[in-house]
Amino acid sequence: MKRFIRCMRFHDPGMSKERMMEIRRQYCNPMTMKVTYYKKPVFIHQGHMQWLWDVDGRRYLDLFAGVATVSVGHCHPKVTAAAEHQLKRLWHTTSIYVYPPLHEYCEKLASYFPDPLKVIYLTNSGSEANDLAMLMARLHTGNFDILTFRGSYHGGSPQTMGLTSNAAYKYPIANGLGCTNTMCPDVFRGPWGGSHCRDSPVQTIRDCGCAQGHCMANEQYIGQLKETFATSVPSRIAAFFGEPIQGVGGAVQYPKNYLKEAYKLVRERGGVCIADEVQTGFGRTGTHFWGFQGHDVIPDMVTMAKGIGNGFPMGAVVTTPEIAASFAKGVHFNTFGGNPVACAIASSVLDTIKEDGAQQISLDVGTYLMTELAKFRDKYEIIGDVRGKGLQIGVEMVKDKVSRDPLPAEAMGEIFEDVKDMGVLIGKGGVYGQTFRIKPPMCITREDADFFLAVFNKSIKNYMDRR
Amino acid sequence: MTSVAHDNIQHSHPHTLKHRHMQPLTSLHSALIPPPQTEHHYFYFSITDDRFHRSLSSHVAIRRQYCNPMTMKVTYYKKPVFIHQGHMQWLWDVDGRRYLDLFAGVATVSVGHCHPKVTAAAEHQLKRLWHTTSIYVYPPLHEYCEKLASYFPDPLKVIYLTNSGSEANDLAMLMARLHTGNFDILTFRGSYHGGSPQTMGLTSNAAYKYPIANGLGCTNTMCPDVFRGPWGGSHCRDSPVQTIRDCGCAQGTQTHRSRGSTHSRCHCMANEQYIGQLKETFATSVPSRIAAFFGEPIQGVGGAVQYPKNYLKEAYKLVRERGGVCIADEVQTGFGRTGTHFWGFQGHDVIPDMVTMAKGIGNGFPMGAVVTTPEIAASFAKGVHFNTFGGNPVACAIASSVLDTIKEDGAQQISLDVGTYLMTELAKFRDKYEIIGDVRGKGLQIGVEMVKDKVSRDPLPAEAMGEIFEDVKDMGVLIGKGGVYGQTFRIKPPMCITREDADFFLAVFNKSIKNYMDRR
Repeated sequence: MKRFIRCMRFHDPGMSKERMMEIRRQYCNPMTMKVTYYKKPVFIHQGHMQWLWDVDGRRYLDLFAGVATVSVGHCHPKVTAAAEHQLKRLWHTTSIYVYPPLHEYCEKLASYFPDPLKVIYLTNSGSEANDLAMLMARLHTGNFDILTFRGSYHGGSPQTMGLTSNAAYKYPIANGLGCTNTMCPDVFRGPWGGSHCRDSPVQTIRDCGCAQGHCMANEQYIGQLKETFATSVPSRIAAFFGEPIQGVGGAVQYPKNYLKEAYKLVRERGGVCIADEVQTGFGRTGTHFWGFQGHDVIPDMVTMAKGIGNGFPMGAVVTTPEIAASFAKGVHFNTFGGNPVACAIASSVLDTIKEDGAQQISLDVGTYLMTELAKFRDKYEIIGDVRGKGLQIGVEMVKDKVSRDPLPAEAMGEIFEDVKDMGVLIGKGGVYGQTFRIKPPMCITREDADFFLAVFNKSIKNYMDRR
Repeated sequence: MTSVAHDNIQHSHPHTLKHRHMQPLTSLHSALIPPPQTEHHYFYFSITDDRFHRSLSSHVAIRRQYCNPMTMKVTYYKKPVFIHQGHMQWLWDVDGRRYLDLFAGVATVSVGHCHPKVTAAAEHQLKRLWHTTSIYVYPPLHEYCEKLASYFPDPLKVIYLTNSGSEANDLAMLMARLHTGNFDILTFRGSYHGGSPQTMGLTSNAAYKYPIANGLGCTNTMCPDVFRGPWGGSHCRDSPVQTIRDCGCAQGTQTHRSRGSTHSRCHCMANEQYIGQLKETFATSVPSRIAAFFGEPIQGVGGAVQYPKNYLKEAYKLVRERGGVCIADEVQTGFGRTGTHFWGFQGHDVIPDMVTMAKGIGNGFPMGAVVTTPEIAASFAKGVHFNTFGGNPVACAIASSVLDTIKEDGAQQISLDVGTYLMTELAKFRDKYEIIGDVRGKGLQIGVEMVKDKVSRDPLPAEAMGEIFEDVKDMGVLIGKGGVYGQTFRIKPPMCITREDADFFLAVFNKSIKNYMDRR
């Protein structure tokens, strides 16, 4: 166990747990109750880098980063300093006036993208960014239909809810006009998959007879995509949205060349290709800054949020001058988007990712984690798959390796609670809630990884012993 | 434009700034000198010390190349203002020139730029916890929700936190439709409810709409604009200033008080007519069961347009008879801005089923909220809705401090006093100048509608508006523009301005109108 960090001071939280739950139930709306993790929730008070403390002073290793959002570390000193610097100067005017932080940031962010992706729109969330991308794609192409994968998550706003393909997040209401799904090329759980499909340190447990360089699963899934094109959408479409690695879906990965081929087919039909980097962006996948780069494609639009501001509410759309010009037909005003504080913080996040070597950490510690988790997969029948890149990791749990049926929610809940009780916070995802998600702040160490591995191993053992 | 009265900036200490009046550079009315700040000692951060420093032309080049054509499109003024720093009701540009900010970043900087108390609350929380999402429980959310709920009457006690007004209105639309099982939503022409693809359907201003399939289930009804609309009279509005129109409506001798508001039981022909138009909409454009009606208590982007006093009360009744919920969009009117009440809807003597808010909620921090009833909240719990950033600890700490600050600084009373004073004085200008058609609003939500002439009430053309707008800016005051034809000046200051600030603006505005008339 690590020693208490000397520079931390524990501050009094000021409200009892009972009072918090009472208020939560009465004023904070039933949805807040619904999304709260754990039978015995964690009451978080304070954070520092990869650590969180609850209101009793108990420390947790945070390997979920508030859903892949705390990119460089809780209350990172450099980013906090940048925020405070700007808070003393200017918080907000909107873009009716010109202010330097916007330009400083846009110029910096643009430098992280290949041509022609150089035009930036700043929003306050990923849902806002994807909403905007949908609008721009439809305006630019003159077409309406947008395609996403089953199991995808692209936002919770009413319009992005149409893109999102996870029943839990959908409502029985007229919604999703022009939105169509296609089969997710999930090489673990889907109908086809093999032994070297993924751009990942760990492959599936499935066999295939594919020669190196050839991927039968990819052919089949592309075939399914072509079926969708021949049936569910018109011959001219507006866009295809794809997460380079699914987030809420549980770090699901596609065959290596899938996106490349899909992009081609989409463009042939007049559509623009949109990479949803809300979770995979900012170095998280380790090998590249953006997830799409790992797929060797250049999208027409890229959306991002979450880690962009280390937890500050912010999102962005980056696109081409051509698409931006189509959007200039009307007036779109985002009151808070691109505010000086957001820009100063986001600029500092980019610097910090570079200075702290976050991307390299993601690659090193992430690869190590996945390699070790793969050994657990081989040891335990109920661990079906380990996958991902860098610090975007998924561990899919199954009843057994043959059927690959999802481990039931109750079992998942037990293991999840046990891991938390032993002092580690991870996430859960997958269409059936069957996948543990590991998406830490990109500052964790090998020692942190070892701690988690020990805890996870114990929790699986505990579960097996209880049965 | 020659530069006018502007304070001399004296550095008595490298990091301290004292203001001193300077002789005007041109022979102008002495009231055109802006008042000194109430706090003389603060830190002015010279932009040359900042890591953001680069030439202005470089900034413009970056804005054009990377910041997207929309940013260029929404930037005010022929010669834009390059803002560097703010403090309470003041903004400084990159050359150290000071402006009186009477637009508050579109009614968003509610208690003052970089307000020391709110900034301190932000810094306090930034050192502790920025973000986890609601998968974990953290104190600031509960502290804030309990506090915010106390500002609402029963049964409006359930709170959803978002990151913007558009997100809040999006959510309200979804919840209304789920709760009622109906789909159609009604808004006024001239309304603005957001820029997201779905709220774009509610928004009724062509400039903000796109030629794209959008707005399913959204219908407009005639805006009961008693100045510009077909009907209006001399005592329709809940405002210190009425329109220039006449009416034969009887004034009520009885006034009735309800929940702190005073409503004359007077007759209003205009209200009858506009409600008649609403009934026409109900009989034609929507089914007999609807989901919701969204209304801003005073229109924002529409230019502080106000309705007859009892319109909303009657409209709410009609909406509810058709199964719809009534939603008050308080994005601009909330948080004491209307002066008489904390919320705009209270001035209309109604209780909505849902209230949305944003802008001033966090003094500029990206945040929005939906407040509703437990019944409507229960209908929404059918699925899972997750807002990653919504209700984050920093937002909650800031917003909580904003509520405290509004109370401690007396912001609502300031809005009432200074706002009423401003409108009363502006009404005198209206009577003096042919091109000022209407002065209206409540508290510090003020509109000045410009016309070609008072008889036709046709909008003053955009070019003329632009000239006056630029002139006001060049003389050191920042205001806003709105109205469906861009014909209305909007005055929505941080709720900390003084009578002296108001006098300065009045002198500047008077001069700008004079200048315009002289040029013709």
